[in-house]
Amino acid sequence: MKIIFDHIMPEPLASIAHSAESIWGNHIEFNPGEKILLNASSGKGKSTFTMTSFGLRRDYRGTVTYDGRDIKTFTPDEWALIRQEKISVVFQDLQLFPSLTVAENLEIKNELSKVYSERELREMLDLLGIGDKWDQKCGLLSMGQQQRLAIIRALSQPFELLIMDEPFSHLDEENSQKCLTLIHKRCDEQNAGFVLTTLGDSHNTHFDKELKL
Amino acid sequence: MLSKLLFRNQDKKQLVIAIVGAFMGITFLVTSIHYLIKVNEFGEGADILGPNTIIVQKKVSSSSTLRLTKTDFSEREIQTIKQEKFIADVQPVISNNFDVSFETADPMVPRFRSDVFIQTLDPEFLDVKSSKWHWEEGDEFVPIILPRDFLVMLNTFMSAQGIPQVSDELAMDIKFKFTLSNETGKEWVDARIIGFTNEVASILVPESFMTYGNDKYAKGKDQLITQVMISGKESEFGLVEELLTKRGLESKNSQMVVGRLKSMVGTLFLVVLGISIIAVFVSGLVLIQYMQLLMSRNAYEVRTLLRIGYHPKTIIRQFFVYFVKVFGIVSALALLIFFLFKYFLDNMFASGGLYIDTGLSYQSIGALIVAYGIFTYSSYSSAKKGIFKEY
Repeated sequence: MKIIFDHIMPEPLASIAHSAESIWGNHIEFNPGEKILLNASSGKGKSTFTMTSFGLRRDYRGTVTYDGRDIKTFTPDEWALIRQEKISVVFQDLQLFPSLTVAENLEIKNELSKVYSERELREMLDLLGIGDKWDQKCGLLSMGQQQRLAIIRALSQPFELLIMDEPFSHLDEENSQKCLTLIHKRCDEQNAGFVLTTLGDSHNTHFDKELKL
Repeated sequence: MLSKLLFRNQDKKQLVIAIVGAFMGITFLVTSIHYLIKVNEFGEGADILGPNTIIVQKKVSSSSTLRLTKTDFSEREIQTIKQEKFIADVQPVISNNFDVSFETADPMVPRFRSDVFIQTLDPEFLDVKSSKWHWEEGDEFVPIILPRDFLVMLNTFMSAQGIPQVSDELAMDIKFKFTLSNETGKEWVDARIIGFTNEVASILVPESFMTYGNDKYAKGKDQLITQVMISGKESEFGLVEELLTKRGLESKNSQMVVGRLKSMVGTLFLVVLGISIIAVFVSGLVLIQYMQLLMSRNAYEVRTLLRIGYHPKTIIRQFFVYFVKVFGIVSALALLIFFLFKYFLDNMFASGGLYIDTGLSYQSIGALIVAYGIFTYSSYSSAKKGIFKEY
């Protein structure tokens, strides 16, 4: 899926000065399978980028298109399909269900496309060091554990683009690398790309392009 | 999983209050509609006059005997009665203005002859099949409705003659004839009984036969209207009764008692019906409000589900199905209680000598379906609005 940001200017950021190479106000293309690092300091609109490209914010000037079609024209049916099969997101505030267990948080997402078996989900939790939290209420996990759970949930669906909004902000280097390994593996399996937003840290990982805000 | 997420931590107290309200409302709604219909149907078909209809005449007093006051109705008086809001219709009862006698004309039955008084009622007021209630010159016989007291008198005569008495069915097979006459001519017309009445004291004939007799054998003087039929509106029989007292009119007591009873019980059930409709409406509203509260408490969950790929329709269905099930269970329980009520009330009426029809009235079930339909539509549109607010 090719995504184009054509002179997008979110209303809350219109009064701020943006650099010449910023996404905001320029013509930017996200090609299929591209792995992109989106680097920006705090307050420059990283979460706004995530919300805008995922169709959750409409308060902007310009046009965002998926494969040439303005995303403002998509119906609820089309958005449901896009969110189930085309684009997956790790939100900055994670958007987990604190009252459900780790298992239930994963199942509720996995039920939509049934990508993984329970064994595979458990294996991924093990890989990221939270395998023993399967039956634990999500709300009782630490922020770092919740971030790892949110990443696994985002990977539990088919996608062409994975958008991650500061997904390692509460993780140490070792756990960040474990997560990145899993993310690269899953993207490569599907020829999918990703957009990883950071506060300046490149996380020592491979990427095709770096963008700024 | 979705149910577990969306219906946890409910405020059960409000839900229980709404359920109890809906249950009571629906139970009384179905029960009151059922008995309102059954009470209105009570007495229908038992006699020839339609529901809420009585025949009235002016009270005979000493002054009327001395011809100081009139016992007949003028056209103006009839129109005045007709203009009352609680009166559906008023029509004069037409009587014969010629000499007429009635006699048996069957070899199986001994001869019985009597001068009689015949009348005709507007077909609109009669509860008889119109195909039978028809006569024209040249027909084989004229259909008649006989006062039951007349049959009792006939049977007394039969008994005195040592002949077996006749039942209603057998009497309808006996051949009779009328003799119509005046000073210059005489004519015989065969007659057959097609029904009986407790409400009218004279032999009833079709209007066409009365017109024929009055045209051909009238005595020359103007015909007087001494009785009128009054049809009162539903549940307003008390006002008809007041009118009769005010105007010095009277009717057969049995007709008045049934009318008064139906009117009172009908009004009572109307009040219960009104309260039931309000109760169902309010409880439905509380249930819908409860749904909105639940959706508002789960706004984060709804929003997150939409963001991770759940279709709005899937989430709408969760809320909609839950509340439709709740209302469905409440309706089923209310229906069950209605049947229990019905069983006890029918027995209670029967033990008091009121044999009302015990069949199920489809209108009461229809009302339940309508209430369920309105609730289903309201809960769907409310759920849709609530979910799309988070979209």
